[in-house]
Amino acid sequence: MTSKIIKKISGSKYKSFFIGVLIIIIYYWAVRGTNASPNNFINGIPFMFDFISRMFPPDISNLGTFLLKAVETLQMAIVGSTLGALVAFPLSFLAARNINHNKFIYHTVRTIFDMCRGINEIVWGLIFVSMVGLGPFPGVLALAAHVTGALGRYFSEAIETVNPETVKAVISTGANKIQVIVRGILPEVKPPFINYSLYYLENNFRAATVLGLVGAGGIGMELLTSMKLFRNQEVLTILIIMVLMVVLIDRFSAYIRKKVLKLESIK
Amino acid sequence: MIKIENLNHAYHNGESVLKDINIEIKKGERIALIGPSGSGKTTLINCITRLIEPSSGRILIDNKDILKTNKHELKDIRKKIAIIFQGFNLIERESVLKNVLNGRLGYVSTLRSCFNKFKEDDYKIAEESLRNVGLLHKENERISDLSGGQKQRVAIARALSQDPQIILADEPVSNLDPKLIREVLSLLQKVCKEKEITLITSLHFVELIKEHFPRMVGMVDGKIVFDDKLSDENSNNFSDYYQEQLIKKRLKELGYIN
Repeated sequence: MTSKIIKKISGSKYKSFFIGVLIIIIYYWAVRGTNASPNNFINGIPFMFDFISRMFPPDISNLGTFLLKAVETLQMAIVGSTLGALVAFPLSFLAARNINHNKFIYHTVRTIFDMCRGINEIVWGLIFVSMVGLGPFPGVLALAAHVTGALGRYFSEAIETVNPETVKAVISTGANKIQVIVRGILPEVKPPFINYSLYYLENNFRAATVLGLVGAGGIGMELLTSMKLFRNQEVLTILIIMVLMVVLIDRFSAYIRKKVLKLESIK
Repeated sequence: MIKIENLNHAYHNGESVLKDINIEIKKGERIALIGPSGSGKTTLINCITRLIEPSSGRILIDNKDILKTNKHELKDIRKKIAIIFQGFNLIERESVLKNVLNGRLGYVSTLRSCFNKFKEDDYKIAEESLRNVGLLHKENERISDLSGGQKQRVAIARALSQDPQIILADEPVSNLDPKLIREVLSLLQKVCKEKEITLITSLHFVELIKEHFPRMVGMVDGKIVFDDKLSDENSNNFSDYYQEQLIKKRLKELGYIN
């Protein structure tokens, strides 16, 4: 019955009309579900200005603490990314079809990667806070867990794209498996590995700022406290620091990536 | 020194690529394999080092059946058999020297090779091999900066640094410019003659074989159809036969004949 109707509609000259109606219905349904209303938005503008005006001028009396916390966030990102990359690196070879022919291990490692990646950093943060308590350490573990999944997948995919012919040439010299990996595969995957790792360092700084919201250390924790105590002027100071740090890290990471790849290309 | 007996190979789908191959190759002999694409030349070459595992038959190298060797013995045999590939198969991002040193992998410990700490002797052999192909001055350049002819010469140097008893070359010149073809083939002949290396090369051109190789083996449809010295008279006959086979194959592909 339904398929008959669909067939009838899709064949008719009103096809695009029906599709248009369908799209409108979907949007109406989604907008209703999210309570999105332009009226509320426009009426709310004065409140926003009121809120923002109460943030001014930024309160810098605690600037020192905030900056220290921002540095802590950076440290979390560095340790978390490195830890994640270190775990992902050896595992990624087990998750590459061209290296590991054991299907069971291959699928197991892939599933671990998917699970690590599928769970958001914030959720990992909640898990690790309940495990090791408040502070930056659970934040580091949360970042590492997520990055292991993400980098593991990218690494293993990079390994799978290595030209099998070059690998064959290394095998044919009588090399053993480790030699084949180190001498035949690693040189080919080095640039994507560096690129992805730096990208995740950058990404992790952004993620680390939010991790404080669940008690996992860093500047996010300060933001949460100030917000809860309605210290709006402090909130502004923290937000400014966060934005500046993210911009700086992005620039720095882009600069390093450019340098590393350039070095690679003239070597 | 190489003796192949009743070698058969079929793909997983049952299609037969090598049909009852029998051939004997003496030490230091230089032979050319010729045949249309799909005739089984590459498969045969890959079977000799077990990069492809043949379905049945025997491959004796110095009276040892390599199809019955274990992993460890196989590596020992592989390091004495160098392969030169049609697509060079070098690590593009690495230097010439590092690529040539890869030829020593069968001889050095895993730890040394992983940290690129080869022994003095290995460096000497690698540099000697590069000198042989006339590329010693390029040792620190990246492969991706070299021309096609230079890349294939690096591949020959890598093969030489394996200190091989056998060199298998799978269409080593088909990715090269015509004027480089003779250069690379002559080089290959020269080094194999000097070091008494057995050379098995697959090639496409009868003319080139006549110039460079004392013995030619013709393959069609997975079978050896010709195995002799190429003289002026039989080369013309073979040329005609080969052309005919090429045309037949093309017609088959197009579906005109079965």
